Order: sequence, then structure tokens, then C-alpha cells
Amino acid sequence: MKNRTPLAQNYLDRFETAVSTLPGHESRSVQALRRQGIDTFAALDFPHKRIEEWRYTNLSALTKATANEDVPFSDLDAIQTASLDTTYEMVFVNGRFSNEESRLSGLPTGITLGGIAASLGSGAAFSLSSEEDRALIALNTAFMEDGFSLHVDDGVQLDSILKITFRNEGGTADGRHIRNVISLGQGSMITLLEEHTGSGVYFSNPVTNISLSDGAMLNHYKLQNESHNAFHLSLTDCENAKNSVYQNFTFSLGGKISRNEIKTSILGENSESHLNGAYLMRGKQHCDTTTLTEHKVSKNISSQVYKGVLDDDAHGVFQGKIHIFPDAQQVAGDQLSKALLLSDSAGVDCKPELEIHADDVKCSHGATSGELDEDALFYLQSRGISESSARKLLIEAFLADVLESISDTPVKEYFNSIAANWLSEA
Amino acid sequence: MLEIKDLRATVGGKEILKGLNLTINSGEVHAVMGPNGAGKSTLSYVLSGRAGYEVTGGTVTYKGKNLLDMTPDVRACEGVFLAFQYPVEIPGVASATFLKTAFNAQRKFRGEEELDALQFLKLVREKTTELGIKDDMLKRAVNVGFSGGEKKRNEVLQMALFEPDLMLLDETDSGLDIDALKVAADGVNRLRSPERSALIITHYQRLLDYVVPDFVHVLADGKIVKSGDKSLALELEEKGYAEISAA
Repeated sequence: MKNRTPLAQNYLDRFETAVSTLPGHESRSVQALRRQGIDTFAALDFPHKRIEEWRYTNLSALTKATANEDVPFSDLDAIQTASLDTTYEMVFVNGRFSNEESRLSGLPTGITLGGIAASLGSGAAFSLSSEEDRALIALNTAFMEDGFSLHVDDGVQLDSILKITFRNEGGTADGRHIRNVISLGQGSMITLLEEHTGSGVYFSNPVTNISLSDGAMLNHYKLQNESHNAFHLSLTDCENAKNSVYQNFTFSLGGKISRNEIKTSILGENSESHLNGAYLMRGKQHCDTTTLTEHKVSKNISSQVYKGVLDDDAHGVFQGKIHIFPDAQQVAGDQLSKALLLSDSAGVDCKPELEIHADDVKCSHGATSGELDEDALFYLQSRGISESSARKLLIEAFLADVLESISDTPVKEYFNSIAANWLSEA
Repeated sequence: MLEIKDLRATVGGKEILKGLNLTINSGEVHAVMGPNGAGKSTLSYVLSGRAGYEVTGGTVTYKGKNLLDMTPDVRACEGVFLAFQYPVEIPGVASATFLKTAFNAQRKFRGEEELDALQFLKLVREKTTELGIKDDMLKRAVNVGFSGGEKKRNEVLQMALFEPDLMLLDETDSGLDIDALKVAADGVNRLRSPERSALIITHYQRLLDYVVPDFVHVLADGKIVKSGDKSLALELEEKGYAEISAA
């Protein structure tokens, strides 16, 4: 038998206890699902650098630790943010739904929102991702504890922002295996802000499955402001039926090692998938953005724009793939990744990929990394602006267009103010 | 106002200024003319404090203080303004934001109250009207997509706003049509006063038809080789640098 990582072995050792105590333990189908997950995970272990998709992100700092052991500590604190007040907020503390802290009363009819733990407990059947061969999804399936389940009925639209907060207070490398399921009915629309915050050491492994019916629209914002001692490895899968729009904006500031992996499959015509984001990293932070956009049918568009600012020894990764299937004609796909390196020891790895099997398509991709423009810096200083202010102005300018693309003004202002906080700590 | 003594400077290890002497008193306008490669732009960058221009000898005293000790932003706040030969494009930074940030940084340095957006806009409008500059550039990113003439007008507008004590003009006339040249000259002339000085660095004497200098110097191979009054500029135009420098 091959050598398992200590953390994988730890999970295997704990599984039998977990399967009989975690939500849904009474249900045979949930148990079977968990067993399927742990078997897959046992065969795969955690992703490692010999796997092509994980070439640039090394998880050994996580996997060498066991669940009860501290992992090396960073003295950087998570960026403080003023909170965005929303009418509705669902709160998870240490991976479990907190009814006391949530504000969900008055949600319009047609919007069903609840905790996954409750659904598992009641044995309610809900389908999970079909791709359980990904190790982190398999681990999540085996150990999932809670998460949110959101269903919006046909034609229902929520005008205000629904905020889902995940607050983690860590101490050990034990995992928070969150499972979220979102399904939007025909012509429905909702705006979601996911916020991940925390302190101390922990491992957050959220998996989110999204399905958009005909004409549905989801504006999905995510603020990843985890503790600087946390591991945040998230996977989001979205399926677009015809005429649907998925917009994702991920703003990453936290985490010791973080990865935001998004896979979108466009299954119907006249659909759009827009994945944008920004990441601001310093110290020894590592932030990986991995996207896969699959165009499986004709007449739809996709875009990805990610901008990163990396200071100190921080490291960024962007892997973006646009996959256009045979016969998926009249498809437009645009991709852009830009990184701004503020220090000589900061770095970024970029791997843009186009896999095109149709001939009537329009695709572009670009990846750049560079430093602040010295000429611009001097020009600003020569007008009386201090070097630190000039640097801030130029960093803000670098981020301006991607933050400007956020269509919900309160979120745009919120993210801008967080970026300003980050910059003022430079 | 400005006293440069035996100034030596290198760029990339190569000595460009080789013992330059120049004194500018309050109220005086000096022109430094010279052929390409004489060290004209190096002089303007050394005076404004650009990185990569290393002073290896000599002194520069500005209003009794050591100018070379000051960072570029402090020099600007102390009243030194460099009108760039090639103003820099800064995508993503709105001109209005840039101007206000710089203006208020200078005010703050002098212990004056900062202007709010409305007060500032009013002031900018006054200046653009005075100078005959269209203010639509305020909405655009700094110098981005500006024509050569617009970029130079933007420099003149900044000069009018900041009201510097020492104006350094680096080849401001290059690439300008006659109308833009007049706007630039008008910008300098409006600011001329017994308390202010200017150093016009130029290859041609064209601009000097509109901004008449009190003194003209010839810069060649990193030194001032000849000084005179405004007639020297005309002589240079007529005979060329080679003859004058050799004389």
C-alpha cells in the first residue's frame, strides 16, 4: 500500500465514527454516499503537485499535519472589514448553521433556504455532484456537516442581497466540510454574497453545486477573508441551462493557502457565464484561482477577468481553461489574468488554456504580470504625492476596472472599501 | 533661488553632467540650450529627483536648502515643478482625482487647508478658462489617449494650479504646433513674477520667442560652456551648436 499523507490517514481513521454521528447517519442512502466518498478519497489522497491541475499549489503544509496538530503560524491578521448590512443573512459558525445569528424571517414565498444538515437528517434526497473523482469533493462528501440549500421557484426574484456568512474559529487543522446546493427555477433571479471569515488555524473545504434553469440569473459574490493561518480550498460547479446567466465575482484576501476552483458547464443556448475576481495577497500567502468553462452547445458567451496584487513573498496562481465542445458554434470566450507584483520575491504562475473543437468561435486569452510602472510613480511623486500614496493610487488604478465590473453597487462599494483597508496596511 | 555648483551626475554608470554651474535668482527666466546628448534632460531629472540619476559630485541649493536631500514629492511641495518632455500616461487614474490628490498633498505640506471636490473643481475651471484649455480632459485617465499637444496643455494646467516657485520646462516646445506653443508660453508668462523663476531647457529657440529669457546658457558635454542674454539664442539658431560650443 502506498504511503498516505498523515492528514488523509487521520480522516480515514476517523471515518467510522463520523459516519455514525454526522448529520444523516440514520439514513442508509446518506451513509452509502459517505462511504462512496471515503473510498474515492482513500484511493486518491489529497491532490499533490504531480497532478497537472495542482502543479502550482503545494498542500503539504496542510496534509503533513494531523487534525489535532497546529500548523505553522502566520502573524498576519485577517483584514478587518466593516460589514455589509443586508436584509437577509444566514450564518454558519464553525461549519454549522446558527439559527440565532441568522436573519431569514420574511424571505419571500418561493425562496426555500435551509441547512443541509437538516436535509441530510431528514433523509431528504438531494443529488450531489456527479464528479466524485475529485479528491476534495470526495472528502467533502464523506465528512459534509452542513451548508446551505437554496431553491428559488420559477419566476421568483429577490431584490435584495442574500448574505451567507461562514465564520470559523480555528485551533487545529480539522476540516469544515461545507456543502452548498443552489437551484434556480426558470426565470428566477437572486444575488448572493458568500463571506468566509475566521481566526486561527483551520481547513475550510466548501463545495457548492449550482444549477440554473432556463432564463435564471445568479449574481454570486464571494469574499474570501479567511484567517491568514487557514487553508481554504473551495470548489464551485455551475450548470447553465439555456438563456441563463451566471456571474461570479470572487474577492480573495485571506488564507495561508487558498484555492478557488470554479467549473461552469454551459448546457443551453444563449447563456452567459462571467467569472471575475481580484486577489490581494501579502506575507507568505498563496492564492490559486482555477477556472474551467465548458461550452457544450452553440450560441453562448463566457468571460474570465482576474486581477491580483502580490506583495512580500506572496504567490498567485491562475489556471483558466475554456473548453469548446464539437458543434458548439458561435461561441465567444474571453479570458484575462493580470498580476501586479509589488516585491521582487512575490510571484505568479499563469496557465491559460483554450481547447477548441468547433470552428465558428471567437476566443481570446491573455496573461500578464508586471511591477508598478516606475515612470508613472515618478510622475505622481513629481507632483507632490508621496511615494506610498502614489503606489496606492496606482494599485487602485490597476484594480479599478475589475472592481468596476461589479454590477451591484452595495457590493462594489463594500469590496472597494475592503481593498482600501488592505492598501492602507501596506 | 537655485544655485547649482560643480554638479556631476551619472546615468547607468555613465557620467552625463560633468561639473555644471548655474545660478538662478528670484524672478529670473533662464534658458539652457544644447544639442542632443548634452545632458539637458538629465539636468531636469536630477533637479526633480528621478531615481536612476545618480549625483556623484557638487551641490544644488534651492531656497537655501539642499535640494538633493529631498524626495521628489518634497521638492514638488517646496515649489519645484517639472513640465515633462514626455508626460506619462496613467491608465485607471482619473485626471481630476490625480490633480486634486497632488494639489491637496502640496497644500497639506504647507500647512494649508485642503480643498474639497467642489472647491477644487471650481478652481480648475477658473484655470482652464484662463488658459483656454478644454476641461473634458479632467474626466479622462491621466494623459491616456491625449494627443501630444493635449499632454503639454495638461502640464501647463498643472503648473497653473500648483503655482510653483521654480518652473523647470523640459523640451516643452517639442512636438507642439504654434497654438499649443502659445498656450504653453502663456502659462509660463502668467506665472512670471519677481518671486518666481524658470529654467527652460530646450533644443530650439522657438519657445523663447514667446517666453523671453533673461539669460541663455549653452550646455555641451555636461557643462555650461557659454552664457549670454537672449541674443545668444538667436546666434545659436543661426550658427548651430558646433560653432558656438567650439568657440
